[in-house]
Amino acid sequence: MLNRRDLLKLSSVAASSLLLPAGLRPAFAAGEDITIGAPLPMSGPFAANGKFGSMGTAMIVEEVGKVLDRKLGYLEIDTEGKPATAVRKVQEAMERGVTLFAGGILSSEALAMGKEVAKGKGVFITTAGADEITGSECNKGTFRWSVPTFGAIEQTVRPLIEQLPNAKRWYTITPQYVFGDGLLNAAKAIFKEKGIEHVGNSYHSLTEKEFSGYLTNAMAAKPDALLILNFGSQSSDTLRQAVSFGMKKRMTILLAWASGLEQFETLGPDLMEGVYFGAQYWHGIDSPFNRELVAKVQAKHKMNPNYAFASAYLTTKILIDAAAKAGSTEGSAVIQAMEGMKYTGLTGDEEIRAADHQVIKNYYLLKGKAKSAMKDKDDYADIISFGKSFQSPEQAQCKMA
Amino acid sequence: MIYLFQLVNGIGLGMLYFLLAVGLSIIFGLLHFVNFAHGAFYLLGAYLVYDMTERGLNFWAALLVAPIIVGALAALTESVLLRRIYHLPHTFHILVTVGLALMVQELVIILWGPVGGNVSTPDALSGVLILGDFIYPQYRLFVIGLTLVLGIGLWWLLEGTRLGAVVRAGSESTDMVSLLGIDILRVNTAVFALGAGLAGLAGALAAPIRGVEPFMGVEALGIAFVVVVIGGMGSYTGALIAGLLVGIVQSIMTTLWPEGARLMIYLGMGLVILTMPRGLLGRA
Amino acid sequence: MNRASLHFLLAALVAIALPLFMRSGTLASEVLIFAMAAAACNLLLGYTGLLSFGQGIFFGLGSYAAGLTLLHTSLPLGVALVLAAIAGAVVATGVGWLSIRRQGVYFVMLTLAFSQFFYFLAYTFKDITGGDNGLLNIPRPAIGPFSLGDSWAYYAFVAMLFLIVFAALQRVASSTFGCTLLAVRDNEERARAIGFPVRNFKITAFAISGAVTGLAGALHALLIGVAPLSNIEYHMSESILIMTIIGGSGNLFASVLGAGFYVIVSDLLSSIWPRWLLLLGGLLIVVALFMQKGLWGLIERLVVALPMGRRSAIKSPIESPIQPESEGRGI
Repeated sequence: MLNRRDLLKLSSVAASSLLLPAGLRPAFAAGEDITIGAPLPMSGPFAANGKFGSMGTAMIVEEVGKVLDRKLGYLEIDTEGKPATAVRKVQEAMERGVTLFAGGILSSEALAMGKEVAKGKGVFITTAGADEITGSECNKGTFRWSVPTFGAIEQTVRPLIEQLPNAKRWYTITPQYVFGDGLLNAAKAIFKEKGIEHVGNSYHSLTEKEFSGYLTNAMAAKPDALLILNFGSQSSDTLRQAVSFGMKKRMTILLAWASGLEQFETLGPDLMEGVYFGAQYWHGIDSPFNRELVAKVQAKHKMNPNYAFASAYLTTKILIDAAAKAGSTEGSAVIQAMEGMKYTGLTGDEEIRAADHQVIKNYYLLKGKAKSAMKDKDDYADIISFGKSFQSPEQAQCKMA
Repeated sequence: MIYLFQLVNGIGLGMLYFLLAVGLSIIFGLLHFVNFAHGAFYLLGAYLVYDMTERGLNFWAALLVAPIIVGALAALTESVLLRRIYHLPHTFHILVTVGLALMVQELVIILWGPVGGNVSTPDALSGVLILGDFIYPQYRLFVIGLTLVLGIGLWWLLEGTRLGAVVRAGSESTDMVSLLGIDILRVNTAVFALGAGLAGLAGALAAPIRGVEPFMGVEALGIAFVVVVIGGMGSYTGALIAGLLVGIVQSIMTTLWPEGARLMIYLGMGLVILTMPRGLLGRA
Repeated sequence: MNRASLHFLLAALVAIALPLFMRSGTLASEVLIFAMAAAACNLLLGYTGLLSFGQGIFFGLGSYAAGLTLLHTSLPLGVALVLAAIAGAVVATGVGWLSIRRQGVYFVMLTLAFSQFFYFLAYTFKDITGGDNGLLNIPRPAIGPFSLGDSWAYYAFVAMLFLIVFAALQRVASSTFGCTLLAVRDNEERARAIGFPVRNFKITAFAISGAVTGLAGALHALLIGVAPLSNIEYHMSESILIMTIIGGSGNLFASVLGAGFYVIVSDLLSSIWPRWLLLLGGLLIVVALFMQKGLWGLIERLVVALPMGRRSAIKSPIESPIQPESEGRGI
């Protein structure tokens, strides 16, 4: 129910935001607090991501405490998972003087918010999946931490083909929209190059929950490997149902765009054993900065950081560091500081590419392990391989205005 | 050949849809009550099974207990809240049940978190049936079988028992039933609990297939409405036929034109209302 | 002062008061945009007795129509808005023409089916609508010398249109046409027997409602610069209906109250507690149980309770039959 933190927020909201006459509206000015906007889906179907994202933002903000001699704070913005609400609330935050934003889980809300923040000369960094964010819809104000679909496929399908020389026939299941097509096209290119037979693809809608029909199609094609290209609860449903059809025993399954720990918790080791997963982040990554984060989160929250937590923590940190480097929270100065910035990230050395604002970082291929082999309750998978694969900004069709 | 597989798969889906929708149909038939909270009972059924199996309870026991708890909660809701609004126009039925559905969904998130979870298929049924090229999970076969048995039992309950006679008479005229000295309030509660319990059972059975997540009720409600409207509100046989029809269409469309599956289903729903206003087998 | 002028005055007061009490022009604009949509919904629900789950279709189509016009042509803003209203009206005529063939729950279900159908249509034809990403980069062009870039400037524009639309809807409601709608709602058989072309009246009500909702959708797309898929979703229809019912279906100003209450309270609650939908759900039940005439009914009761107000309380001319008898007893 309502906890103390919520009640505090209640009083501050009532006091500051709504019912004050125009002249008394709080304004942000130099010398006052620096506020980072955290637009996340706190309610609605993606509330789980919002919850952990908000925890990650809170942690880094508390940790840093002060920047440019000003107190650091953050503003949690519930996008409700709806682009319209997200944009409206981001507009409001900008009117209150917030210029730096880290958040946006869903592609639709992230695209829309990026446009809005750029229009208001602010900075927005996101982890959403749509390639357009640093591709055809790229803009000056928007940055993206997550690896695009191209890299996700290059770092999962390619190493897996090398590991499984006998898997010559692949079947794909793809959600019918730009994100799915991005993954599918990247996979097709590798299949062609490697002489793999693509024995079929099933498109499904974004609202689909029942995959038995698609799996029936897939089994009829007798593939050696099943490549699942949807994400979130849809990919969990696909995998769960594929396992129930006995497909795990008959073929290799790769889920190219998994969410990591939060998804693995809902799947459990029985479903995951022997299945391959692609991931942006995994708490088992062997990098100094990640080990540090894992230890801190363990100490504070008695849990391992998942993708939503870690990515919110890191993207917020990037904004803070860039503001410190720029000596200002002014959008254009922070953007300049971020472009080309090299830093030690959770996945090792990371770099922000200036031309399209894409972060260059590793993508991971994981393999689910048996329950008996798990060392602790979160030890669902081992890292098989990882690496960086990115299209050039031109290939990604980014024309920065 | 693939269409034959899809046909069989569609029948499996359809039986689950039937179970989900028949409760909604019966409730409408007797109470003339538009229940937008039906999906919430499905959601509760699934989460109760999840909770109990997580606590180490046997799946079969959970499968038995979950619908009973859902039914009991529904009976409580009916007697405390819903019976106060039967006499109001549909607008308020919708308002209250939408509110109820929202509350259940958010309570589920508060109790079990926003992430969702997995319910393992019971060991005895975790295998697959293999007939040549045809592969089908044993658990889904079990669901088809159980739904068939339940369907026959329900048919007997509605057609062959006193309760059924009252329900059928009540859907024609509640006044007459009251005149016959039957406590219509208790019948209403019983029927509502039965309908919701069936939704709970559908949720419980679906849990190992779909997993559980807090928003599964919304999708279930949509399907239940389609099935009830196509089959005819208040019709038991209609719900069965429409459930199978929707399941089979959905399954076969995955091979033909997957993006269009939903389009076809809602187009079908519209056409049925326009051409056969009482549905395929609705009572006039 | 007659009732219609009083309600218009109240609506104007709301439009003037919002900037004084709200921090953000964006939120204030959203209140008035949804006030239009709710008033249009009320024309169907309160005046014609039609509970339509199709309002989201018209809203979403309005968003797409305005967005596509401004993205792909160089037509001015005014034309884009008119096209959006036309798109809403045309589709509403079609949906209405088919839906009113059925009554009661079947009518509701038919509008629900249409709403889902159009959603999947928008999703499937992603080359036109942008699919799940939405239609991005919708500009907000200036009107002559007036830039609408600032959120309060845009609010002023929306407020002006809102008052025009509100006055127009009031005229419709108080015209012979509006009174006939009420007669149809109260006793369709009788209205038919007298010789009213009941069907045409209902379809016309749909067309007007669709035009206004389409316009609201267009203004919304301009407000946020995107026409998202969620604007044509079933949830949009649901929200508009809820606003209308919370306000009360008795008169058009009640819808303004309902929309304002819903938008502001949702915004407030969601910034306090992620599980705010729980409270919203509870609120809906409370409204259905204790405030069947909505917020407007509540205000009327309060006015009557005041000793001063007893004389001025007039029985509403469109006392709705969907309200139970017991409600009226207090007045």
